[in-house]
Order: sequence, then structure tokens, then C-alpha cells
Amino acid sequence: MGAAYKVMLLGDIGVGKSSLARRLAFDSFNSVYKPTIGVEIYRHLLPSVAGEPATLILWDTDGNFGDAVLRHVYVKQASAAIIIADRTRPETLTTMVRLGEGFSEMMPGRAMHFVVNKCDLPAAHGIDSVVDRLRAETPVTETSALDGTNVARAFLETAIAIRRRGH
Amino acid sequence: MVAAAEFFAARGVFGLVWIDRDLIVRRRFGAMAAFIPEGEPLTDALTPFIGSEDYILSFQQDPKLSLELPGVVIITSAETQDRFNLSLFWDPAQGCYFLLVARASLDATLELELVRHVRARLIAEADTTMKSKELMRANRDLEQFAAIVSHDLKAPMRALQYMTEDMEAAALRGDPIELQARLAQVRTQAQRMSSMLSGLLDYSTVGRKAMAIEDVDTGALARSVSGSIPHGTGMTIDVAGDWPVITTLKAPLDLVLRNLVDNAVKHHDKPTGKIRLECAPVGADVVISVIDNGPGIPPEHQASIFLPFRTLEAAGRPATGLGLGLALVQRSVESVGGRISLGGAGLDGRGTTFLVRWPAAIGASILLS
Repeated sequence: MGAAYKVMLLGDIGVGKSSLARRLAFDSFNSVYKPTIGVEIYRHLLPSVAGEPATLILWDTDGNFGDAVLRHVYVKQASAAIIIADRTRPETLTTMVRLGEGFSEMMPGRAMHFVVNKCDLPAAHGIDSVVDRLRAETPVTETSALDGTNVARAFLETAIAIRRRGH
Repeated sequence: MVAAAEFFAARGVFGLVWIDRDLIVRRRFGAMAAFIPEGEPLTDALTPFIGSEDYILSFQQDPKLSLELPGVVIITSAETQDRFNLSLFWDPAQGCYFLLVARASLDATLELELVRHVRARLIAEADTTMKSKELMRANRDLEQFAAIVSHDLKAPMRALQYMTEDMEAAALRGDPIELQARLAQVRTQAQRMSSMLSGLLDYSTVGRKAMAIEDVDTGALARSVSGSIPHGTGMTIDVAGDWPVITTLKAPLDLVLRNLVDNAVKHHDKPTGKIRLECAPVGADVVISVIDNGPGIPPEHQASIFLPFRTLEAAGRPATGLGLGLALVQRSVESVGGRISLGGAGLDGRGTTFLVRWPAAIGASILLS
């Protein structure tokens, strides 16, 4: 199975963390919203990450943890974090940026990827310019868990970044 | 101890897994641990431990360490899965690891479902609140727009009607000179209406266009604005105070400064005069003052100066322009979450002071407004 990487999915409640994990792992989407309680763990094999297979272990966390998730035992030994926001709710971008700063502080040198989800819906006013600005410092992918746009790409890019960093 | 654990595991209190020092599962007890295969690495069935192997191995050197993972669901299919509390520790006496697998009780599951429902409702409520805020703003804009169109565009429409009636009368009389004069008036009025409609469109789209947030050197911007506005040699425009670099939308700030300075120049009643731009950081904002020693704004007009199509006659001169400058200024300031107000007399005991409170950092949160 090659290397296995523990990847945290972080972000506000309702941004689509579980939907992204389900889209990747099972290529499915559940339109009935069901908040995650605690943590749900998915396994997904990527056939080729820079030429070799790798398994992502996705830790889909409870958005209600807020910043406290960074101090939780769940985050220990994580190789990377995918931090997710909802383009229809600007406040979720603020949370994404804050979690990103916290993760970099707690786990220096680990890969981090911002995902702005729900690109199948119109963006809230001003979101696009904020996303462009974030892109200058951190990889950002706009995804739709609903129709699958860019979902596999976001996870693959994260896996490549982990491999490059050697964690 | 193993016998006791076997006893409880057999009765379904918890599952017990016995793991050797190389992290291979050797034995398991109880139905709750049935999904963990014997003879395989721990991490094969228990994905939560993947990535933590080095940490787990370090327990052998420090038996006080343990790894407890509460409320973990291992998703292996799209169906609902069980939730476990996992506790892994090293037993130096036995020379092996033990893993306790405990399932959440039925009560806890009901509690979780309740929490889920409450959270789902909270998110739905937040979504509704945001949408109703947007709707209220749109309604307010629509009402204001309708009021402006019905009130301020009515007068030129009426004038056009009278002019065409005059033209008709002139045509019947066979008076080509009068007809030509009225035609010229119609053309002028139509041009004015066209300008008013364009201005109104600009006004209605402030805050709705996508613009880039960037680091803006406010001092450089203020100097550039003051240097680019035409003014007589007797008029001085100074930039003073503490102008920081802020993270903001540059275009609306440029529009605000430009209009305020331009107004101060245009409405000044003397050939010589002073205009000063000052800035000071106050909390999370910067406060920009545009101060002049012009004629000032009469108290009876101060309440309406930010309304669209309101023009004031300068001393001895008729009102010029469409009267949209200050309306655009106010709308631009408010579109970034700022405020504008009149701040009393200006320089030398006369004139006007405009105070603009502008957020120093426009992040994602400000977009909520």
C-alpha cells in the first residue's frame, strides 16, 4: 500500500468536510446534512503520488471543536491539514485562516492546503478577492463535493506536498 | 488480569486486543473487537493508529504513556458505522500492548443524534439570518432607488414634456427659430438625464463589484489624490498626520478621498484657501479628516448632503454637477464597513470637516456586513 499519511480535515461546521471525504472515498454525496460528532476516519488509496502509491488516512473532525481541535489528541502526528471553508459563508474563511495559523504554529513544517468548497454555488460578495489573496501564501483549491469538481485534485496535491516535505 | 479482561470481553462490556511489541495483533477477545484480524499489523484494521507507530513504540521506553482516542468512527463504507473509544497502553509486566475497544452506549447515541439535530438547526438558522439580511439590504436599496427615480428624474421628464409641447406650438406657428431653440433644450435635458441615469447606476453598484483587497499605503494615496486634483495657485492641499499601510480595497478609498478633496476645491468661495488631509489610527480603524476653510455647509442642509442628487449653490455661483459625489462617498465608505460624518468647523474657524472612519484591515469577516 506504500506510505500512509494522516491528514486532518479542519474547518467550521457545515463547510463540507465529511462530504469531501465521502466524495473522495466513495464517490458519493449525501444531500441530507449530518454534522460530524467527534472524529470519523476514512482511508483512501491514491494509486500514484509522484509515481508511488500512498494511502491517505483522513481525520474528519467535528467542526464544533473550533480552535480547540488543534490541542486535541486527534491532531497528534498528523502529516498535513486540509482546512476547508464554504464560499457562501464568508465567516468560514476567517475560521479557515485562523485554523491555518494555529496548525502552522502547532505543527511547523507540515503541509497545509486550503479548500474553498461549494464552488457549484454563487460565492458570497468579495470571497473571490479574499481567495486570490490567500492563494499568494497557501495552496488553495476551489471544490464542489456535490459534483466532485477538484476534490481528487485537492487531496492529491496535499499528498504530493507531504511526500515532498518527507513527513 | 488477562483472565478478567477475557471475562468482561466475552460479556460484551468491551473488546480487548493483545498486541506484541512489533505492533502485530496476537489475540482478540469479545465481539466488539471481532473486526480486528489476528496476525496482522495493528494499523491494518485500526486506521486511527496509522502515523502514530513511532509514538506507540515509545511506550516501551516510557510505560506511563498511552494513547486514548475518544469518539472515533472508522468509516469503511457509505453506511453508518459504530463509534468507539479506543485506549492503547503498554504492559511492561506482560511485555505487550493492550487495546481496549469500548462502544458508545445507546443513550450516548441518542445524545449524539440530538446534538446533530441541534447543530443542523443552528446552521440552518444562521443561513436564514444571513439571507434575510441580504434581502433587507436589497429591499432598502430598491426603495431608495425607486424614491430617487420617482422624485429626481421626474423634474427633467416634466421639463422634456413642456419643451415638446412648446416645439409642437412653434411648429404649428411656423416659427423655426423657436423650434430650433427648444430642440437644443431637449438635447441638453436628454444628455443631463442620461448622465443622471449613469450616475445612478454607478451609485447602485457601489459595493457590489468584485475588487481586490491589497496593502495600501494611505499616505501615498492621499498625496497622489491631492496632487492630481486641479486647483488654483492660491489653494493649498496639505497631507498631515500618521498615514499607515492598511489592508483594504484601494478603489473605493481613492474615490472617497478624491471626491472629498474635489468638493472642497470646487465649493471654495475664495481664490485663496486651505485644504488639509489628516489621518490617525484609532483602534481597528483609521480616521481620515478632510478639512477646509471654505464657506462651510449651512446647518439646514447638513442632514441631506449624503442623499443622491442634492446640490448646493456655492456662494455667488449656481450648483454644478449631478449631486452624486457625496452619495457615492457615503456608499463607498459603508460598503467596507466604515462610517462618514460631518465633524464641525474646518480651518481658521470656518469651512467643513469630513470625518471618515475606515477599517484598517478588511478580512473575510468584514464581507459579512
